[in-house]
This record gives sequence, structure tokens and C-alpha cells, in this order.
Amino acid sequence: MQSVRIHSREKDGVVILDLQGKLMGGDDADTFKATIYRLIEEGRKSVVVNLHDINWINSTGMGILISGYTTMRRSGGDLTLLHVSDKIRSILYVTKLSTIFRCFASEEDAVKGFEEV
Amino acid sequence: MAGTIVIEFPSDYKFLNIVDLVTAEVVQTLCFEHKAANEVGISVIEACTNAIEHGNKQSADESVRIEYHCAADRLTIEVCDRGKGFDFANYLAHIPNPANIDHLRGRGIYIMKNMMDSLEFEMVPGQGMKVKLVKRLRGEGGGDAQQG
Repeated sequence: MQSVRIHSREKDGVVILDLQGKLMGGDDADTFKATIYRLIEEGRKSVVVNLHDINWINSTGMGILISGYTTMRRSGGDLTLLHVSDKIRSILYVTKLSTIFRCFASEEDAVKGFEEV
Repeated sequence: MAGTIVIEFPSDYKFLNIVDLVTAEVVQTLCFEHKAANEVGISVIEACTNAIEHGNKQSADESVRIEYHCAADRLTIEVCDRGKGFDFANYLAHIPNPANIDHLRGRGIYIMKNMMDSLEFEMVPGQGMKVKLVKRLRGEGGGDAQQG
């Protein structure tokens, strides 16, 4: 079962993945993983995951984001989060994953965020 | 508001939408403040995810039952599956570090434990696993407006 749709676009050399729906495991993990591996094969190093249209997420969905983050980091890239809702922020905070993920409130800041690394 | 609301649904993730909507209505009716309402919503989804995946093994023939027990000072939610349960005492004593990014799974119980005031597991003979979540209402008059 697939609950999330992923649309990929680019801004100033940064890949922005617009996620829509629910991020909760199942086929979502395969879809997201395949997208990340494709980007790595294309040599992309900077990925922003836009969560603006994610209705909700569970801990399994959080694991999907962690998988994307670790995969990008191990290939020499980075993955950050954009438009994190209060609910998702609560999960990041309580699990202390807020110390791992860089989160941005605007697309402009998210794109600029890679210049500072 | 006092009383009990019961919903039961087949073990399919697509019904979590309905669970989320019902939970949102319940916490709004009880006047939980925004942060506490989110914590209840997140925890119920985690409990239901575990019930579908680990309890009922995603079998649509098995159902998940939720009872929302509303009282003046607290909301108690019981999520019941038809599974064989697990060694929750041992798990609770050795909950993995949620910040360890080498682990992709296993944060659901940690999240529930830290977002709710109380989390209990009970194996009900002949039925299945019951997860009991409690969130207290803070503030005068039963509302939760005073909580930060």
C-alpha cells in the first residue's frame, strides 16, 4: 500500500522532493528509497524533503526519512527537512531526532542551507 | 464531557485516517490544548499501527478496537488487537535509544511512553493485546489551556 506521492524538482542545484499524503511505511519506504538511490546515481548531493503536504506521519514513516538521511550522508550528500508541521516536530523532539535533522521554515532558507555546510 | 466512544475497524492502514479524525474530535471536545492534542493523536496512531502490523499481522479479517473513555480529568484510550502479544515488560526495560539513526524502526512505544501520562500493556486471554493510554486534562474546569 502506497500512501505518499513524491514529486521531484530542482532549485539552484538543490533537489526538492515534494511529498504529499501520509508517510507511514509499507510501499512508501520502497518508493522513497528508490527516489534517493536514483538521485545518488545522478550525482545529486543536496536534497530537501518538503513535508508541507504530509497530512501525518508515524514512527515507521520517520524511519523512512532516517533511511534517506543516512543514505545521502554515506554517499557524501545531505538531506534536510522543509515545512515541518507541529506534529512532526513533536515526534522529532521527543525522539531527539531534532538533533539530527536540519529543519527549515522556508524553501529559500532550505536551499541556502546547503551553502553553509 | 463524560462517556465512552468506541470504534472498530479492519486491520488496514487506510482506516487510520478515520482514527485520526475521531481522535481529533475527541480531544477537541475535551478542550485539550494544541500540544497535548497532537501528542494524543500521534500516540493513538502509533498504537493502531502496532496493532495492525504486529498484533493482527495486517490481516484484514482481524479488527482493531478503540475505546475512548472520557472523564472530567482525563482521557483514557484503549487500543485492542487480536494478536498474541509480546514481552512488553522486557521491551519497556530495554527501549532502544530513539536517536540512534542506525535503527529505522522501534520508536513507536518510546513515543507513546513519552507523549502520554501513562502507558500500559495487558494481554487479555482469548482476545489479544490491549494498550492503555492515559492523558490527563490540566487546567481548571477540565480544560487543558494551562499546559505549556
